This record gives sequence, C-alpha cells and structure tokens, in this order.
Amino acid sequence: MRYYLRKLAFYGAALWGALTLNFFIPRMMPGDPVDILLAKLQQRGANVGPSARRAYELLLGGNTNDSLIHQYFAYLGNMLHGDFGVSVSDYPTPVATVISSSLPWTVALVGIATLLAVLVGTGLGMLAGWRRGTWLDSLVPATTVLAAVPYFWLALILVAVFAINLGWFPLLGGYDVSLSPGWNGAFLSSALRYGVLPALTIVISSAGGWLLGMRNMMVSTLAEDYVLTARAKGLTGRRTMVWYAARNAVLPSIAGFANSLGFIVAGSIVTEQVFSYPGIGSKLLEAVQNDDYALMQGIFLVITVAVLGANLLVDLLYALVDPRVKANG
Amino acid sequence: MTDLNADLAAPRPRTGRRVLPRWSPKLAIGVGIIVVIGLWGLLGPFLVGDPEAIRDMGLTAPSRTHLLGTTQTGQDVLAQLAYATRGSLFIGLLVGVMATVLSALFGIVGSYVGGLVDEAFSLLSNLMLVIPGLPLVIVISAFVPASARGSWTIAVVLAITGWAGSARVLRAQTLSLRNRDYIQAARVAGEKRWRVIGVELLPNLLPLLASQFVFAVIGAILSETGLSFLGLGAANSATLGTMLNYAQNGFALQRGAWWWFVPPGLIIALFGCGLALVNFSIDEIINPRLRDIPRRERRNRRRTQRPVKRLDDGAVLDGTVLDGTVLDDAVPDGTVPDDGAVLTVRHLSVTYRTERPVHAVRDVSLALRRGEILGLVGESGCGKTTLAYAINRLHRPPAEVTSGSITLHDRDGEDLDVLAFDRDELRAFRWDKLSMVFQGAMNALNPVLTIRAQLDDVLTTHRPSMSRGERHERCAEALRLVGVDPRRLKAYPHELSGGMRQRVMIAMALLLEPQVVLLDEPTTALDVVVQRGILRELLRLRTALGFAVLFITHDLPLMLEVSDRIAVMRDGRIVEEATAEQIAAEPRHPYTRHLLDSFPSLVGERGAFIRAGEDERSQAAQPPAAASDDGIAAEAETR
Repeated sequence: MRYYLRKLAFYGAALWGALTLNFFIPRMMPGDPVDILLAKLQQRGANVGPSARRAYELLLGGNTNDSLIHQYFAYLGNMLHGDFGVSVSDYPTPVATVISSSLPWTVALVGIATLLAVLVGTGLGMLAGWRRGTWLDSLVPATTVLAAVPYFWLALILVAVFAINLGWFPLLGGYDVSLSPGWNGAFLSSALRYGVLPALTIVISSAGGWLLGMRNMMVSTLAEDYVLTARAKGLTGRRTMVWYAARNAVLPSIAGFANSLGFIVAGSIVTEQVFSYPGIGSKLLEAVQNDDYALMQGIFLVITVAVLGANLLVDLLYALVDPRVKANG
Repeated sequence: MTDLNADLAAPRPRTGRRVLPRWSPKLAIGVGIIVVIGLWGLLGPFLVGDPEAIRDMGLTAPSRTHLLGTTQTGQDVLAQLAYATRGSLFIGLLVGVMATVLSALFGIVGSYVGGLVDEAFSLLSNLMLVIPGLPLVIVISAFVPASARGSWTIAVVLAITGWAGSARVLRAQTLSLRNRDYIQAARVAGEKRWRVIGVELLPNLLPLLASQFVFAVIGAILSETGLSFLGLGAANSATLGTMLNYAQNGFALQRGAWWWFVPPGLIIALFGCGLALVNFSIDEIINPRLRDIPRRERRNRRRTQRPVKRLDDGAVLDGTVLDGTVLDDAVPDGTVPDDGAVLTVRHLSVTYRTERPVHAVRDVSLALRRGEILGLVGESGCGKTTLAYAINRLHRPPAEVTSGSITLHDRDGEDLDVLAFDRDELRAFRWDKLSMVFQGAMNALNPVLTIRAQLDDVLTTHRPSMSRGERHERCAEALRLVGVDPRRLKAYPHELSGGMRQRVMIAMALLLEPQVVLLDEPTTALDVVVQRGILRELLRLRTALGFAVLFITHDLPLMLEVSDRIAVMRDGRIVEEATAEQIAAEPRHPYTRHLLDSFPSLVGERGAFIRAGEDERSQAAQPPAAASDDGIAAEAETR
C-alpha cells in the first residue's frame, strides 16, 4: 500500500511541476504572446472583449493588475476544469475540442507501435542473451545503427521506398479522406493501412534499445544461481529461458520504461509531421507555426499527463511482476 | 570527441580495474567512424565551395562537378553537408559537455553529500525524467522569438532537458561506491569532501561518465536534428537537421531527390553508430560479464562420442608432479565396480580450457554406495564444486570433461552412462535420479516465482501424468517433510528466512525421490543453530527415504560427525578416502592430518588453516611447490 501511495504522490508532484512550468515559461520568455495572439484573433474577425483578453493573460502572462500568486491559482483552476481557451488556428474551436479530436490517433499509433517494439525488442534480446556466441550476437551492432537513426529520417526513407517507389502504402495522412470517420470496416482498414508506415518507423527505431537492454540483462541474469538450479532441475531450455532468466532480466527494462517513453513520444511527434498524421504531434507543430500559444500549452499539458499516466500504470504493474517492491516500500 | 578521448586516456592510478577499453574490432570500427566524420566536420568546410551559392541548375543528380548533386535552388549538397556536419557536431559536443556536467552535479554530488540534498536532487532528476523532453523543448523554443534563438540558446535548452537520465545512473553508482572501503578510509582519514569526490570517487566513475557523455552527445545530435527539422532550431544555423528541413520543404522526397535527404541522415546514423560501438567497449569495462565470448564450438555443446580415456598432459602430471601425494592404496581403484554402489565416477578429469588450461579435477575415482553419506572435503578451490557440477554435467565452457566416466546404477539394475546422454536424456536424468542443493541457498530460488511454482515445475516436467491436485499434494507433502508449513507454498522467496529457504531447497531436491542428492556446502551461509537443525533433518530423511548423499564441504569436523565415509580432495585429486572413524582415528595422508589440526578445539587458538588453493587457477596450473606444501612436508616429517 505504501508503494502505491508513494507512486501516486510522486506523479501528483510531477503533474504539479509540469503545470507550474507551463505557467512560468511564457512569463519568463521575451516578447508578449498575448498581444500576438489577440492580433491574430482580430485578423480572423473575432470580437475580442476584455474577458477573452483576461483569459489569455491568465494563461500566458502579460499586463495584468493581478498579482502573480493570484494569476497562478486562477490558472490552476482553469486547467483543472479543462479550460484551455480557444484555439487561434482552428478559430473558434476550443482547445479542448481540438485536442480530443486528435488525441485518439496518437494514442492508438504510439500505443500499438510501442507495444510491438517492446515485444519484438525484448523477445529478440532474450534470445540474443540466451544464445550468446551464436549468429544472434550480430544483432547487437545492428541495433546501434537503428538506435542512432533519426526517427523522421527513417520515416522519409520508408516513405521513399514503400510509398513513392513501390506504392504499397499511402504517402500522407491518417485515413482515406473520401471516407467518413466512424466505427466501420472500410474506415478502420483504411486507418490501419495509413498507420503501417508511421508505426513501422517507431517500431524499427525503438526496438533496438529494448533489444540491447534485455540482452545485457539476460547475460547478467544467466550467471545467477537460480538459473543454475533450473538447469539442474532438468527443466526444458524454454522454461529456464523464459521463467527463470527472462522473467528476471526484464525487470530493469520495465523499471526504465519512463526513460524510453520520452524518446518514443518525441519520435512520434516528428514522425507525425513527416506523414502529416492527424495526431497531436502535428497539431502541436501547427500551433507553434501559427503562434497558437493556447493550443500549444494545452497540448503540452495533455502529452505530459498522458506520459505521466502511462508511467504510473507501468509502475503499478511493476508491483505485480516484481513481488519484492511492495515489501521494500 | 576530443573530450571523449581525454576522458578515456586520463591516468587513474588508484583504481585496480581496467581503464582503457580492450582493443576489439568493434572499438576499432567505432573509433574509425568517429574520426572520419569528425575530420569531415572539421576540415570539410575548407575543401568545398560556398554552400549558399545559388546556381541555375535545381535538383540535379550527382555528377562530376557536384558529387552529391544540387538542391532545388542549385546549391551544392556536398558543400552544405560539410558545414551542416560541423554545425551538428558542435551542438552535440556542447550539449554533451553541459549535460554531463549537470548530471554529475546532480547525480554524484547529491548522492555523495546524502541527506536532504540527495533527496531533493533525486526528486528533481526523477521529475525531469518523466516530463517529456521534446514537447517541452518545442514549447520553450516557440516562446523564444526566432531572432533570439542562437545555437547557445538551443544548446542550453537541450542540456537542461537532457541530463536527468544519466544523473540517475550516476547516482546509483555513486551510492554503491561511497560505501566501499577505500572511500570510507579516505573519509575517516579526514580528507576534504571535494578531494574525496575528485580524487577517490571520480576516477572510479570515469568509465560510467564517459559512457553517459557518449549517450548525451548522441541524444543531443538527434534532438537538435529533430528540432531543426521542425523549423525550431537555432536561427541562421546550418546543421544536418536544417538541411533535412529544407529538403522536406523543397519536396525532395516527392521529386525523388534522394541525394538531398539521404546523406544527412546517413551521417547522423553512422556517427551515432560509431559512438555506440565505443560505448560497448566502455560498457565492457563497467560490466566485464558483457565481454564477447568466442563462438561456442559445436563439439563442446554435444558430446556424443566417448571421451578419451586419458590425456597426455594428465599422464605427465601424474608421473612427475603429483606422484607421491596420493596414497595409492587409500583411494578406490575405480576399475572394479563397487558392489552396492549407486554412483561410480572413474578416472574423471575436468579441465578449464582457458589460455593456460587449468586441470581442476584430475583423475578422480569415487564410488557412492546406496544410502550412504560420503563427505567430500577440501579447501576452497580444490575442485570439489567442479567435480559436483561435472557429475550432473552442469559445467559450462570453458570447463570440459577430458576423460573418465560417470555411471549411475539405477534402482532397476540398469547402468546409466551419464556422459553419453543426449540433451533430452540428460534433462530426464537430472533431478529425477540425482538432485542438488546449492551453496547459495539465498540465491538458488527464483525471486519472482512463488515457492509452489518452483516446486511445481519440477513435477510438470518430470511427471507430466500427474494431475494438478496430485502435484499440489506432493508439493505440500515435500514441505511437510522438511518441517515447513505447506501454507508457505504461496510465499515468495524473499518472504522466507535463510534457513527456511534452504529447507525449501531440500524439499525441492527430494520431490522426485532421487537416488542421489548432491549437497554443495548447503549450510555455509546459515548460522550454527539453523545449520544443526537442517542437518539433523537431512540425516533423518536419509534414513527414512534411503537416498545417498554426496556432501561437499570444507568442514571436516562436521563430516566426521555425519558422514559414513570421507574423501579428502586437494588440487583436483582425491588424496585419501576412508571411513569417518578411520579418518578421525588415524588419518594417513599428511594433508588430512593438517586439515584435522587446523580446526582447533573451541577454546584453542585458531590454527593456521592452509589455503593452498586460494587462487585455484594459478595454483592448479603450477606444480604445487608452494610454501604450504613444504609446510605440510615438514610437518609430516616432524610427526
């Protein structure tokens, strides 16, 4: 129980830290984002009253008579209500709506691709560690090249080969625009086809890290006494490999998930840009290019919350796969 | 890059471990790639023309005048590549240095100082780790007006968002180092804190720091490339990322201008690969287990033909070096089958095929009778554990059985040739006929499986016909046998005490009612009271179940108490074998006498317990002309 409480407290603190960063960054930077934003709004024929101005000032700072503390709490209140303001680039859609329409695309893409990368990477890593001294050893240097390839460059190459030259997959987008989005077979299969290359990009570039980590831990774990016991017990090689060696070797990979998730999220933002994928990464860049600060901040927060949530989930699952953590608090 | 080399080359007088990576093909290729790309970034700009010059020949494929073709506006791609490589390397190094300094500050200093500072630093780095880096960098960059976005700004932002991961790694390592003896000694001696960190601690952390620095450089180059590709990089800078950005905006992809977007990515990939290869070599300093092992030779993996009876070098050793140490009439000849034996070992030799071969077990013959306890006594490094592993064929390369035979005389009268088993036969033999209890009971149980799962998988493997209920009943019964509450089946190993764990191991060893149980120092790690209890239990079970025990230990007095017969082992040989009474009353070999003398009575002063085999390898490989032997000889004469 103490373990869970500590984890919850930590992620609570992390969330608060992210919110605070989000509050101070625009206030610390040069320039006056509120004026830029309001000018853009007026260009689009929006009727900007004093209340809209005040809402943006709370979010981004600027000339306001309120004290910083007061602004801070009003800002926190707005955030907790999911009130991120109105998007400029998609005026007059509220930021929350823009986010909720693009978030599912990214969650599905990143979620599935990460799952595949973890399965492929740890699976191969397990074999490479178990069968050390065989041809599988050559996988290790190969992974370093893949790990060092920039995501988006790999995406460009994949597009050049599979979309432009071979024409197997579509070039851009998340689905066939002639179809209307919904839970029907035609749309889903189209989304699947459009998602193959972006997902492949993420899987190829992140599986190498999992492979290497798993392989090294396997090598260390194979020297443990309980693996020797398993061999002496006459268990099958498969059972020894999976339940004695790999089952223990995988723990540090799971514990280090937070580290990898950051890379995956970063990679997927850039990858979405290459494929013009209708996810949250593309929206973030669109917001940046249009000085849509409200949307930008909203997306940053949502990404942060999603990453924190995923990490919390993994930490909670970790307590299930390693019975020792609960005992140690 | 220069920093990296400086890190690796700095002398570290106080450390005992390797400082420079071992020279290997991996390292050579890595360094080669880094040097070539580094030189290209450094000197390339002087060799190529103006990268900005616009010509009237947009998007031409590689040719003699333009080796890598031209961009949309007719700029030379090769010239751009040279300047862009320089720009990316510069940012990478800058961020690498800054991030490493930050991580050292938060990771090393924090954990060394300890207390609240450590808590705060650790919380901070964990927070920075979970907040996604690139979105944060994008947001920060977006708020900085493009005109104010210089290389340094980007570098600082990347460093601030990129140090946390390595700070955590460094912290863990520092925490383990700061409790080592030499650090403690320096602190007790009153050395100043900065001196302890700088002179004692830092040199030992250097390999790790170097590897973290390499990671930081790769990470920084990748992040900067991504950022520039998105158009959020430093203003007016030329990096590989901006090149790719222009290529993307110039529709290089759609127009098939591969020469524009392939080279920049390739340079990054190769450079990252080179750094990673260097990192492998650094990792091998940090964790020697990861070193490359030579590809296993097939003949070692499957031993189908019978081993040769005797090796030439073994015979030489026999004749010249150790002759006279062994009392010929005191050890069984082994050629005549022993009536009532359950396990016969004949002329077994095990050699570690290292650069200088080590003969760990030499020409050992043993017979274990049904239901008896045979104590195998010797100091650490005498080869007794190697012998035990070889009997179960658990030895791994480079250890190899070079000669001899191992026979198990099965209950039904069949003789099983252990060395001739194929993989499946061996698996069926293990635990069913012969089980083992290992030295480190603490670590012999899998920490993440319940006791029940670890008992149960023995039954599912060896007794596939048993039903779930039968298996459960059998596991519970085995635990009851060794005095452990069957409710403990649900427990994980960490929830049990050391003595309890060893009892569970014994229950596991008896699960299939084997004919032989090998005990390898089963109680060494336990306190004396628990030890006694477990041994008494074992003796009782032996009487009740009738299995034979090969009990391996360095504790001769204990063996005198519990075993029927005792074999004394030294330098890979059995030097004397007799009943426990005979050994106690009239030991014949000088070494046995010496062993007996070195265990004083409880009140006496501690005897000079000889440890000739302190270093098994060098000792066993050399003629035993060491001082201890002279000592024995001298003592033997004075008696």
